[in-house]
Amino acid sequence: MSEPDTRRPFAVTSRYGGERKVVGERMIQLFFGGNAFVAVLILGLIMIFLAREGLGFFQLNRANLEVYRKAGLEFVEPLRLQENQHNQLVRRMFDLRVESARALGRNTELDREAINARLRPLDDFILAFEDAAEPLIHASMNLSDLAAEIKMAAIEWEETEEYRGGLKPDFDYETARESLVAFLGTQERLNEMVAANLRRVVNQGNQLEWANTALARAFAELRNEALAFATDLPGAYHEMSTWDPNEPVPTWKAWSVFLTGSQWLTASFWQDWYGVLPLLTGSLLVSFIALAFAVPLGIGAAVYVNQIATRREQNLIKPAIEFIAAIPSVVLGFFGIIVLGELLRQFSEIGWMSWWPGFPVAERLNALTAGIMLALVAVPTIFTLAEDALQNVPKTYREASLALGATRMQTVWKVILPAAMSGIVSAVLLGFGRVVGETMIVLLCAGNRIAIPDFTRGLEVFTQPVHTMTGIIAQQMGEVVEGGIHYRALFMVGLLLFVLTLTINYLAQRAVRRLRLPTI
Amino acid sequence: MDPTTTESPSPTTPAAASADAGRPAIIEVEDLDFYYGENRALDGVSLAIPSHQVTALIGPSGCGKSTLLRCFNRMNDLIEGAERTRGTVRIRGVDIFGPEVNVMELRKRVGMVFQKTNPFPNSIYENITFGLQLQGVRSKTRLDEAVERSLRAAALWDEVKDRLHESGLSLSGGQQQRLCIARAIAVEPEIILMDEPCSALDPVATARVEELIHKLKQEFTIVIVTHNMQQAARCSDRTAFLYLGKLIEYADTQTIFINPSDSQTEAYVSGRFG
Repeated sequence: MSEPDTRRPFAVTSRYGGERKVVGERMIQLFFGGNAFVAVLILGLIMIFLAREGLGFFQLNRANLEVYRKAGLEFVEPLRLQENQHNQLVRRMFDLRVESARALGRNTELDREAINARLRPLDDFILAFEDAAEPLIHASMNLSDLAAEIKMAAIEWEETEEYRGGLKPDFDYETARESLVAFLGTQERLNEMVAANLRRVVNQGNQLEWANTALARAFAELRNEALAFATDLPGAYHEMSTWDPNEPVPTWKAWSVFLTGSQWLTASFWQDWYGVLPLLTGSLLVSFIALAFAVPLGIGAAVYVNQIATRREQNLIKPAIEFIAAIPSVVLGFFGIIVLGELLRQFSEIGWMSWWPGFPVAERLNALTAGIMLALVAVPTIFTLAEDALQNVPKTYREASLALGATRMQTVWKVILPAAMSGIVSAVLLGFGRVVGETMIVLLCAGNRIAIPDFTRGLEVFTQPVHTMTGIIAQQMGEVVEGGIHYRALFMVGLLLFVLTLTINYLAQRAVRRLRLPTI
Repeated sequence: MDPTTTESPSPTTPAAASADAGRPAIIEVEDLDFYYGENRALDGVSLAIPSHQVTALIGPSGCGKSTLLRCFNRMNDLIEGAERTRGTVRIRGVDIFGPEVNVMELRKRVGMVFQKTNPFPNSIYENITFGLQLQGVRSKTRLDEAVERSLRAAALWDEVKDRLHESGLSLSGGQQQRLCIARAIAVEPEIILMDEPCSALDPVATARVEELIHKLKQEFTIVIVTHNMQQAARCSDRTAFLYLGKLIEYADTQTIFINPSDSQTEAYVSGRFG
């Protein structure tokens, strides 16, 4: 009754029937899976690589700080600070002289000769003020040279074959420092003398005549500061006499000098400092400026394209914005130097723009120039992702809102944007990640001055030149000794940057997850 | 309307018996042609919809019943290429396609409930107050009152009164649709358009919404598009049958279902095509 089953059997036991097919499928699966895991693998490898090259920095930095202490550079530092303070006072006095000359030129008929004659007493005063501190400056320079010599000698000593082979003892810092420390014996007397001289000169200053009350007031303030400086002079002695060259440098110091140090100073005659703060603030400042331009532009364009534009406008705007992402950043950087930097400078010099803080700009290349160019990099990212987020808002929300009598703009503000907010936040964060990692543009346009921007000057901070984490790596990596402290410091900057962008990306993903719309 | 009746559901009765064709028409459609680009969706439709009645628009897919419904609050304006080429729609005597018509104001008078439940991803409270806040109502007491009144009218108050500030999306499908109805009621429209409001709901939820429709007609004029013949028979007073963009027959629901004058209508309502 039952017919023989002539169809292909499904229970295949032969080697070439079933299993080969299974093996084939396995291979395909492995291929796809392998591709997918390459990303994870590479991420891990990059982290290991950065950490391996970078973390060695802290050991080297600790040794660096130890030499700084033992060779007596740290000992001389208070003196150098005083020299520096005195220099600044002198510089400000010269500024006052320039102001005075200007004021005289404006208010009187005097010619240059006559003005100089009028200002001779001030010139004499400044000269006397400079001379009064001469012994202090002399001592500071002498001791600096001595300390630097000790440091050089110590480094040379430790680089010799014998020392490395264990044939030579450790460098004898104690003896080398003797001449340095001997200074303490004369310092008290020197301080007294300099302080007395300064006081005398400053007190004579009250006979000076000033062109107007503002200048007089500025000078009075300066005199008070000069007197305070004279009074504080013995402070350095106290600091230097209690200094202990053998106090060990704690490990955390090597970290804190890097993370919170305000100086990035390399290949210097005195002491190299690897403080990441100027670079970090520079990066953040430039990114902030970029986002300030890119967020309204990107989101505005996304709303327009998604909610308002006709199809023809969409077909024009979308590819145009996405094309910006295809421009090589070096081209944008070049454009920033040649065109935008120049335009910005000329624009800032227009008379009626001078109310804007920081205008006219002192430097053609500054944080603002770089920020504006970086905004161009961030706009496509923010636009594309924000537009996606808006696109993902169910169309039914829009209908519901309009059917309740909302205008198109009310619908955008009260329904569409809130519903897309998670996606938009994540778009902004990813845009931030994009600009903080951008290198070429900031290297070319940011002005590359390694200093923490002066935030006390309010909005002027935006027109100051800055340097960035990415810029410093690109700029200095080519000229460092492999494995040296500078090389490793650059890797630490890279690691920090990596951690920063990783955090931003993580936050962006969390924003999406936390605020994700329910699927309807 | 008496909110206490929500607890005692009365059996839904065929409403046609109480239909009063002599009521004044609130919507008058005259000779309306409507195109989507090249495609004609409505072809010379004329009908008058009486106030405080439930009017059902039925017909097979693509017959133009949704298009006609969306003409009443001009939701078709949103579709690119959609265009009225001839005819008028008057609501309370005013041509709603006229140049002086403010579409936003029109939509406040003519509310709408959609096929797909679409509460905003906000709280129940915010869903209901959305329309009033658009109109600039800020007073907390007025908003609170409106929320309670609308939810009671939509027979949802007892189920959600303790969780007004939870997301509207946490409700079940049927509750979400009643929330959408409450949201439409909150702005106090005269007319409520319903575009297949029960097609995504299970039978129990459907029954509740139908019951609600029946109750709402005391306060509002309701126009409902439905695929479900029984639904039209159960809850409407008047029924219009459309086919290929033309109005084939328009009469009391009872007439349409028991004694249609057109053979196409008869074939459709008896389930022989569509």
